[in-house]
Amino acid sequence: MKNKNLRQGVRTGIQMGIVMIFLFLVGAVFILVKLIGDVLPIPPEWSLRSILILIFLLAGAQFSRVTANNAIPLWQDILLKATIAGAVTGLFVGLMTLLFISLQQKGLNLRTYLYQLSPNSLTLWAQGLPAQYAAVFHFLLPLVTYPLGGLLALVFRGLKLKERLSRRIIPTQAFGNHIFAPLTHSLWGKITLYGLVGILLLVVPMRINDYANFILGTVGIYVLMGLGLNIVVGLAGLLDLGYVVFFAVGSYTMALLTAPTPHNILWNFWLVLPIAIALAAIIGVLLGIPVLRLRGDYLAIVTLGFGEIIRVLLRAESLAGFSNGPRGIPKIGQPFLFGIPFNNERDFMYMIILAVILVIFLTIRLQNSKIGRAWIAIREDETVAQAMGINTLKAKLLAFGIGAAFAGLGGALFASRSQFTGPDDFTLMISVNVLAVVIVGGMGSIPGVIAGAFVLKGLPEILRDLESYRILAFGALLVVMMIYRPQGLIPSTRRRLVLRDAKKREGAIEASVPPADERGRS
Amino acid sequence: MGDVIEPVRVRKRFTSYQISQIVVGIAFVAYVTWRLYTTIVIKHSYGLDTWVKFVISGLIIGSVYALITIGYTLVYAILRMINFAHSEVFMVGAFAGFFVFEGLKSFSVGGAGGMPFIDAHPILSIILAFAGGITTSMLTGVTLERIAYRPLRGAPRLVPLISAVGASIFLQNATQLMFGPQRRTFYNLPSLDRNLGWTITVASKPVLITYTGVFTFVLAIILLVSLYLLVQKTRLGRAMRAVSENKQTAALMGIDVDAIISRTFAISGILAGSAGVMWGLHYGQIHSFVGFIPGIKAFTAAVLGGIGNIPGAMVGSMLLGLIESLGPGGLGIDFQLKDVIAFSILVLVLIFRPSGILGEVGSQEKL
Repeated sequence: MKNKNLRQGVRTGIQMGIVMIFLFLVGAVFILVKLIGDVLPIPPEWSLRSILILIFLLAGAQFSRVTANNAIPLWQDILLKATIAGAVTGLFVGLMTLLFISLQQKGLNLRTYLYQLSPNSLTLWAQGLPAQYAAVFHFLLPLVTYPLGGLLALVFRGLKLKERLSRRIIPTQAFGNHIFAPLTHSLWGKITLYGLVGILLLVVPMRINDYANFILGTVGIYVLMGLGLNIVVGLAGLLDLGYVVFFAVGSYTMALLTAPTPHNILWNFWLVLPIAIALAAIIGVLLGIPVLRLRGDYLAIVTLGFGEIIRVLLRAESLAGFSNGPRGIPKIGQPFLFGIPFNNERDFMYMIILAVILVIFLTIRLQNSKIGRAWIAIREDETVAQAMGINTLKAKLLAFGIGAAFAGLGGALFASRSQFTGPDDFTLMISVNVLAVVIVGGMGSIPGVIAGAFVLKGLPEILRDLESYRILAFGALLVVMMIYRPQGLIPSTRRRLVLRDAKKREGAIEASVPPADERGRS
Repeated sequence: MGDVIEPVRVRKRFTSYQISQIVVGIAFVAYVTWRLYTTIVIKHSYGLDTWVKFVISGLIIGSVYALITIGYTLVYAILRMINFAHSEVFMVGAFAGFFVFEGLKSFSVGGAGGMPFIDAHPILSIILAFAGGITTSMLTGVTLERIAYRPLRGAPRLVPLISAVGASIFLQNATQLMFGPQRRTFYNLPSLDRNLGWTITVASKPVLITYTGVFTFVLAIILLVSLYLLVQKTRLGRAMRAVSENKQTAALMGIDVDAIISRTFAISGILAGSAGVMWGLHYGQIHSFVGFIPGIKAFTAAVLGGIGNIPGAMVGSMLLGLIESLGPGGLGIDFQLKDVIAFSILVLVLIFRPSGILGEVGSQEKL
């Protein structure tokens, strides 16, 4: 028993130690301090301390988790384990502190190698103390906080707050249905609901300033692309990592056909818009033909490659006569409607809203059509879908083409709105952002994609400081979502059920096979 | 009674896909022949010495690709999944090698004013750099599997793939945040200088074969041969092959599947890590996105050779390296577009022979 405590404690301690060192080196601790400092009038030392204490309390709380045989662990065990883990974490963090702080106080500039460790950050970390005291401080902090966290969690568990709360309050999902059911299930309810949303969409862009409209417009373009990728990834189950290609095709079609610089064609926006959409769809089908006959993984990497290629091609000096090369295309045409030019963010906001509504309508219709069901069948099991008489290649090509068309629309609007486009607008990160929107929101779910776009694209616009951490967080988010919540924030009903079944099946298999370390010993 | 049953004659028809295959094939062959004819016969764009230079650099880059490709192929053979984050395993190895060099540069032997360690013991330094790179990459690979892939075994195919993409993005950006966005230059060892080498004479013109190039090539071949022996001759290799055939059956035969998968990631990490250090030694510059392009190329090479097939991976990599370095010159196009050539190869392979050069034809399960 003791031995087990020791092992568990040391393991958790090492894990947390590595995580802490990582957070320190990446500079996440310091950016958090800065964020808190922007919002609340707390001196940085204290916000650093409270962040650390919070992290360690949470880590300590893990020890009071209910064990496998449904027993609440004893407080002695918790204390012992937490103290051991605290000591190990403290050792890691303390030694790291000793190393870096003493190197810095010797006058070495750590920033040449470790980019985040500016002298200010290091002084903050050391709390103005000399290296050895700072190290002792960082050693003692987890050592004291871990057991505290464990015991606090135990106390909370004893209070049974969770059960009391859940008994009092109706579970959230049922709560939502309670409110929305009359609205979504009767005709007048629907009319009221849509009327309200419509009025909101009409009024909001008028009441907010240009910058807010710009951000909301970006979110809207991401909703467009997200809905397009949602058809490809969410419905048909094809992982497309080069979605930016179709975005680029849309943008460049709009740019080349309406801008004065490379070709001086100067066509009307409304004429070019369908051309851009159609071209994106055609390119989608052409790219799809060689790859879609194969299973998913190839598609992922080939599309990833295409995403890179399009940038290389657009940048290439040898093709500059056609695409204006790395300089990009300025002065892209903007739409006129009844002689009135669309030239500010608000007008474009309305247009994007219109496009989003159109695309949502199309998606809903597609989802519930024969082809939509065919896509879902392919996503679930391609072989079975084929046996059911679905022409899988055709269905997949259609998904790819329609997804591409949506991205083309988004790209055309994007180019016309910003009046400039260049190869650097079309990086891999766009594909990744859109993918994250779809996956975080919930694959195959329209409200999910909209929510995802707001969370992933709207929120970081407000927290500009986090720019460099955003993509890092996307990566981590993709992994974490896949492990803990593969159905996304707002899952589509079908997908939720499928994943639950898969988990059940897997659980059944796991139960019949002994755990790995036992097998290894025998 | 005496009737002879006439064999039913089925007129062979081409499907529309086969027709388009033929059209694309003819167009491709015609284009390549035409371009090659113009550059080589008509224009004489390059002398023989330049072609030799192209071949040499193709072989070197091909051998680096081979080490990365093996990682994709091994993992694919066992888990039927593309380890997207493999290119980052490579990158991490390169960074570790760089930091070992920087560390060894900073302290000197024989008291103050002595030579830096790295100049005093260059061979030992190189060994240490490789050890650092290999260890870091191996740990990264194993941790990656443990955190991002193992909890997802048995989930729908798309799920681990997305997780892998996430891990790849995470590692790239974490490295960039930690070590900064600037490019890093590997220390240029005086005894293994990047710009020195043997000079041979081709068509009465000098052609430089760099020491680092030869070093990279030879070391890569040694590693590849030992990997092949490991997979074919040892107990671990046999277990790996068994797991790749069928996990359940392998588990019934007493193989610890999890441990084998973990070791496969370790082996891929070792090869990728050494490739990373070689990249640093030969090309000199690294940054946090250095793995991206070699990663995609290595995947291309894996498909070209037949994914899941180890000799195929080696052949595919060498071939891809050669195509890539000879291609722009041979076709007489912009050198900026060499990545486009590699990718066109991938698409062509997928059109004509998705199972690759050495892959088994018709093994749909593996595609």
